[in-house]
Amino acid sequence: MDDHGKQRNRRLEQAVQACAEGHPEGIDAILELEGSQLFGVALRILTRHDLAEEALQDAMVLIWRKSPQQRGPAGSARGWIYAILRNRCLTILRDGRRLSSMSPDELTRMQDARDQIVPEEGWQMLAGSSRLGDCLDALDDPARRAILLAHVGGFSHGEISARQGVPLGTAKSWIRRGLASLKECLS
Amino acid sequence: MNGFQDDLTGFADDYALGLMSPAAAELFEAVMARDPALAERVAHLRETLMPLDLSAKPHALPEGFAARLRDQVSQTPQDGAVVPPAPVLGSDPTVAPTPANLPAAPLRRWMAGVAAALVLGVALGFGGALQRPGPEPVVMAVLLGPDGQPRAVVSDYGNDTAQIRFVADIDVPQGYSLQTWTLPSAQMGPQSLGVLDGPQATVLHGPDLPAPGDNQLYEITLEPEGGSPTGRPTGPIIAKGLAAAQSGV
Repeated sequence: MDDHGKQRNRRLEQAVQACAEGHPEGIDAILELEGSQLFGVALRILTRHDLAEEALQDAMVLIWRKSPQQRGPAGSARGWIYAILRNRCLTILRDGRRLSSMSPDELTRMQDARDQIVPEEGWQMLAGSSRLGDCLDALDDPARRAILLAHVGGFSHGEISARQGVPLGTAKSWIRRGLASLKECLS
Repeated sequence: MNGFQDDLTGFADDYALGLMSPAAAELFEAVMARDPALAERVAHLRETLMPLDLSAKPHALPEGFAARLRDQVSQTPQDGAVVPPAPVLGSDPTVAPTPANLPAAPLRRWMAGVAAALVLGVALGFGGALQRPGPEPVVMAVLLGPDGQPRAVVSDYGNDTAQIRFVADIDVPQGYSLQTWTLPSAQMGPQSLGVLDGPQATVLHGPDLPAPGDNQLYEITLEPEGGSPTGRPTGPIIAKGLAAAQSGV
């Protein structure tokens, strides 16, 4: 992580700490530091402004609620915040009742937009100029695509296997083996 | 690496990538809360994949978002924050829902006995739950203790059968029993799902109850041996939580 990233992470940690001590100003600080990036992540997965706004709002309330218990060395504040947001996005995506309340047109539009999240060509922009990008590049195409569909697109095992036209077990093992190679490459 | 460890690594990967069903994820979080090494593994993978989150194009927040959020946050109590003790399900005003009716020493012992260790059997049970084909629970609830830590997981199958598993050690003082309750509706009031022999995995067969629903309350209380004398919860709450409907995705 560069100095800028470290400094940002430190400020996020202070903001989470403020929440943990019961100061809602911590929530304002997180929004200020990371709000537009978090909204961008939610928008990329959910593709709809209303859903993305709901996901971010729910996530921030959860961060507020859970911050007093968020102690110890398991990862950075930033990683924790993004994980909560991603979980909220996935909960919305997988809520059948909610999706069934959308019109068929709306559903199709959302599906089409979601199909563009992980492009066949030019996946590199999803990893930026990180070491992760180099290690993803070293993976087999299907394994890399499965991992990107899962993490970036928020697709489930079943959706990934359907998109890749392979049985569920194959998609699962691509992801599992791909992640193992990825960890080895990065270690 | 043995099979069990392989499983845990696989679960950690699936969890970090968001590939678990909501029910499995909730269970995994309960297991992770007792297993720092597992939490560390998840966190590490999460950090590794962070560049993928940071590549999303930032987008300005909707107008008024911060103010609306601030409003909501100001009305939301924090988990584990110091709040007045929650009332027991029972609304019978003649029964004092406090630990005051228990001898002090066993209660302290009970509190101290809530060990922070994850029991291996629970983790294995968790793995089994993921693989077991069988009927799916209609709702699941992770029950938290007063410290906000998970203590038990209830899977209610909706046919008046519920399974309860413990994810923390609970020392039940001699002369006391654990009893499980649910609140199907405010009109019905708390209904006993059964008295437990001890803090071990148990299948309960309750009375005829309506199908369990989302956000239904479940709780375990400490009661005199053999169960509550009044048919309503009387002792201190060992753990409580709201059910999440299982969509079966």
